[in-house]
Amino acid sequence: MNNFQVVAIIGLTLLSGATVVAHLRHWMRRGACFFWCGLWIAVGGACLWPNKMSSLAHFLGIGRGADLVSYCGVVAMLVGFWMVYIRLLRLRREVTLMVRRLAILEAQRTYESRGHSQDDRVEPKDEPIS
Amino acid sequence: MNETVLSSDVMQQTYIVVPAYNENACIEKVIHELRLTRANVVVVDDGSTDETYYTARREATYVLRHVLNRGQGAALQTGIEFSLSRGAQFIVTFDADGQHQVEDIPRLLQPIYRGECDVCLGSRFLGESIGIPWVRKMTLRLGVFFTRISSGVKLTDAHNGLRAFSREAARQICITLDGMAHASELIDIISNAGLIYQEVPVSIRYTKRSLTKGQSPWNAFRIVFDYLLSRTSK
Repeated sequence: MNNFQVVAIIGLTLLSGATVVAHLRHWMRRGACFFWCGLWIAVGGACLWPNKMSSLAHFLGIGRGADLVSYCGVVAMLVGFWMVYIRLLRLRREVTLMVRRLAILEAQRTYESRGHSQDDRVEPKDEPIS
Repeated sequence: MNETVLSSDVMQQTYIVVPAYNENACIEKVIHELRLTRANVVVVDDGSTDETYYTARREATYVLRHVLNRGQGAALQTGIEFSLSRGAQFIVTFDADGQHQVEDIPRLLQPIYRGECDVCLGSRFLGESIGIPWVRKMTLRLGVFFTRISSGVKLTDAHNGLRAFSREAARQICITLDGMAHASELIDIISNAGLIYQEVPVSIRYTKRSLTKGQSPWNAFRIVFDYLLSRTSK
């Protein structure tokens, strides 16, 4: 095992441990915990057995194992960006719903307290258009 | 102009929703003109940083305030929901920058009042658009073409802020796109809900101010992006 592999395995083991702890503290769902642990194990496997990666890459018609890792990394990053963006959109929608609810509740409270119903509107000051 | 539509009874059941963001310079005049119709004017201040909210409170029937700026689509939905909760039978949406003409409102309400349709959409290309720059005209034409492809709805003006809805139609409307892409979403909702719609000629008067505040042609790309994204993320 070379130095890079030692550092990578230590780092990935720590990441896996942190992922499990996050799940145990209910910060992460079980499915997400499995996903991330699986990802760390796969990366660890690629570090430990680079020849196997080359074989897999060759089988897939990519050529080199390093290229396969790069391609997978790029795809994973794009999927990650997309998921974060979608999550951001949902969050923005939830903020809008909250802002709307506040606005309507505040208005209803204001106009109810003034007895401002449909039958008790402030009449316009000028004549209607014709 | 049909006098029935302008009768106090009908107009008192009409709520005009005006989304406003930093429109202090012209909101007073716009509300004043709208109140002459005897309709209820609902201004939704979309987190303005100027005095729009306080100016609107002096003139409008109802003023709602978004504590954060959420966009025109969000403000419209807030106004529509509030109007429905107050018992609105007809809802009109009207821009706060003064480019729409109050005289067009009865023309939009007439077909709905007569039961001919559920929704009336204003069209500047059937009516008159004064001072429209050619770049904007081209952008709007592209918007019409895009709407035709995406929604399958044939309109002459897909992004006009002057519209009217019956109560039943407004109840089916739920705008989820906060920004300017809501106009395309609205057409989708109308189409999917099977609402009967009509286009009505309206006049748009572009001023230096409305052009400064309006959307740049580049923003059209963002609107298309937001709209397409919303179709994949629901």
